[in-house]
Amino acid sequence: MSSMNDKRFLPEGKHLLMGNIAMVEGAISAGLSFFGGYPITPSTEAIEHLAKRLPEVGGCCMQMEDELASINSVIGASLVGAKAMTATSGPGLSLMAETISMAANLEIPFVFCDVQRNGPGTGLVTEPHHNDLGLMRFSGNGEFQVITLAPMNCQELFDLTITAFNFAETYRCPVFIMSDAYLGHLHEVVNIPPKEEILKRVIKREPPKEKQARVFSYKDPATGKYVIPKPPIMGTDYCPGLFLHLPHGPEGLPTPKPMVFLEMMIDKIKSNIDKICMVDKYKLEDAEIVIVAYGLPVRTSYRAVDIARKEGIKVGILRLITVWPFPDDIVKDVVKDAKAVIVPELNYTGVIAEQVERVTKLTTPIIKLGKVAEFHHPDDILKAIREVSK
Amino acid sequence: MSGLAPMFPNEKPEHPYLTKSYGGKIFGNFASLFCGGCGYGIIGQIFTRIFEDEKLDPKLHPTVIGIGCYSQILLLVHEASQKVLALHGRAPAVATGMKMANPKMKPIVFSGDGDCLGIGGNHFIHLCRRNVDCLIMIFNNSVYAMTGGQGAPTTLYGAKSTTTPYKMFENRSDGVKLALAAGAPYVARTTVAHPRTLMKYFRKALRHKGTSVIEIITPCVTYFGRKNLSSLGAEYMGEKGEKMDTGGKMIDWIKRNSVRINRAKFMTEEELFNKYVIGEFRYEPKPEYSDEYAKIQKIAMGGK
Repeated sequence: MSSMNDKRFLPEGKHLLMGNIAMVEGAISAGLSFFGGYPITPSTEAIEHLAKRLPEVGGCCMQMEDELASINSVIGASLVGAKAMTATSGPGLSLMAETISMAANLEIPFVFCDVQRNGPGTGLVTEPHHNDLGLMRFSGNGEFQVITLAPMNCQELFDLTITAFNFAETYRCPVFIMSDAYLGHLHEVVNIPPKEEILKRVIKREPPKEKQARVFSYKDPATGKYVIPKPPIMGTDYCPGLFLHLPHGPEGLPTPKPMVFLEMMIDKIKSNIDKICMVDKYKLEDAEIVIVAYGLPVRTSYRAVDIARKEGIKVGILRLITVWPFPDDIVKDVVKDAKAVIVPELNYTGVIAEQVERVTKLTTPIIKLGKVAEFHHPDDILKAIREVSK
Repeated sequence: MSGLAPMFPNEKPEHPYLTKSYGGKIFGNFASLFCGGCGYGIIGQIFTRIFEDEKLDPKLHPTVIGIGCYSQILLLVHEASQKVLALHGRAPAVATGMKMANPKMKPIVFSGDGDCLGIGGNHFIHLCRRNVDCLIMIFNNSVYAMTGGQGAPTTLYGAKSTTTPYKMFENRSDGVKLALAAGAPYVARTTVAHPRTLMKYFRKALRHKGTSVIEIITPCVTYFGRKNLSSLGAEYMGEKGEKMDTGGKMIDWIKRNSVRINRAKFMTEEELFNKYVIGEFRYEPKPEYSDEYAKIQKIAMGGK
């Protein structure tokens, strides 16, 4: 299925794309060749579009019988060397959790797009609600670290999906793209870069040239750094022969030291946190009030900050592009001198606000601005800014 | 590297039919991790034999193993085969993904009765429906043996297990009928008491392009035989059986309790109750999924 042709890349230039479609177009440019999915509102456009597009580029898009089968077919495809992904919503994610845990153990790379909808239960299926954040962080049994990226517009859905595939190849862990019902259905202009530029960014799936027995990550005792080999491919010589999802060593053989294995699972990501954690700072140089946001609420915050700056209030935005692993050091550094931190989120609990509380050790007042199934009006955030600045 | 490493040797054994394992060091290559009287050793041996005799390319025949007692079979089967331990019941879905991502492959799926007819029933049905080219073997020992002998969807009526301490009263699930209804083109059932037939079916399934389902009746002495009488399945004959507490008694019982398909045609429903009908049920090759998908790809790429 590696016979990729020119249809893989959209023509260079501006395209009006829906969020879900921008996401899958990004995936196709990153070399996606297998998609296993199950229709679920609001992610359905992804599988609909791929059913048309993937056969064109020589890939395979399968509508499986349920979410369990779709994620399992995805890891099956990834095991034999295909770049694979699936897209679903909250209820689908909770069904897939078991397999995500298995894939994390075997370090099978795949990309997962969660187009979040309101919950719990069926909820309001077409309304956004960032309520799967905790599930994305702790999905599945056992301890492991995942990477979650939070785009805020269709352009980023395209770009960050390519980044997500690169992260999956490099760090060999489940990589989530955090979308939501509004972002997935938003139509925006997407600037498609030229083919050569995309190809330069994409990391290919190929076995290493020289034969090596160590196919799973391990800590190099000489340097103390984690070595993450290329993902093994079944059907080639670069394959351990046994894929057992139990604590295993670098050759894939069971190890009686589960602690060493678990340390590897988590620290291989944590030790690369400076490469994984991406943030965007907006007017933070002299800010007294900091807004920590991710996803769509960032766009509302931009407006609120611009108005507040005109009023002379010194406020800035720290935007988290990578939500998990949580960029502790960056957030700590930014909020250390802040008078207050405002965290506008599309959930009531304040999942990220809790993380900020943890990082600041409760020394800074933190204002949670929760909204569920609707958006913040810039006035909501402005009101909070004005109250804090008094 | 680790203390367990000798269990998983990478070197090729001297004799191709034998595997060197941790137990093998003690018992001289004839060891398995299975209980006395278990049938999985026979199946593992047959798999290894056919793998060697047919010169199967291990790169094109990945082995996907579900969860159950038979997961330990990965220590017995051919050392060259590339094996994945899938999640409980999800092996058919993993095999589908493998086949579609690399259509040259023909995955071999090991699956159990609880795995394939219980938790993974849905995946099994849809694998048969799609006709994805793979060989799926259902090992039916009629209990959940790995967790300690709980009742399974395939437990015979009247049998005792740890979750049916009085007697099993649920209707039995029939893997072959399910596969036939779902549209699998090659469906057969045999037992480990008929190893030559099993090898014949295995070879035929390897040559057939499409989903092949082979259900294999295998004995579980520890959790099924010890608790049940050998009159099981022949109650109408008024015979008083004895506990099947050895492998020999269970193999005898399996032989007695299996009816050839040719003979079953002339038997009534009551007579076939609690019996295993063995033989080839269907062999009707039909278009295979990945071939059909290749045609779709051609259309999508602008061909006819």
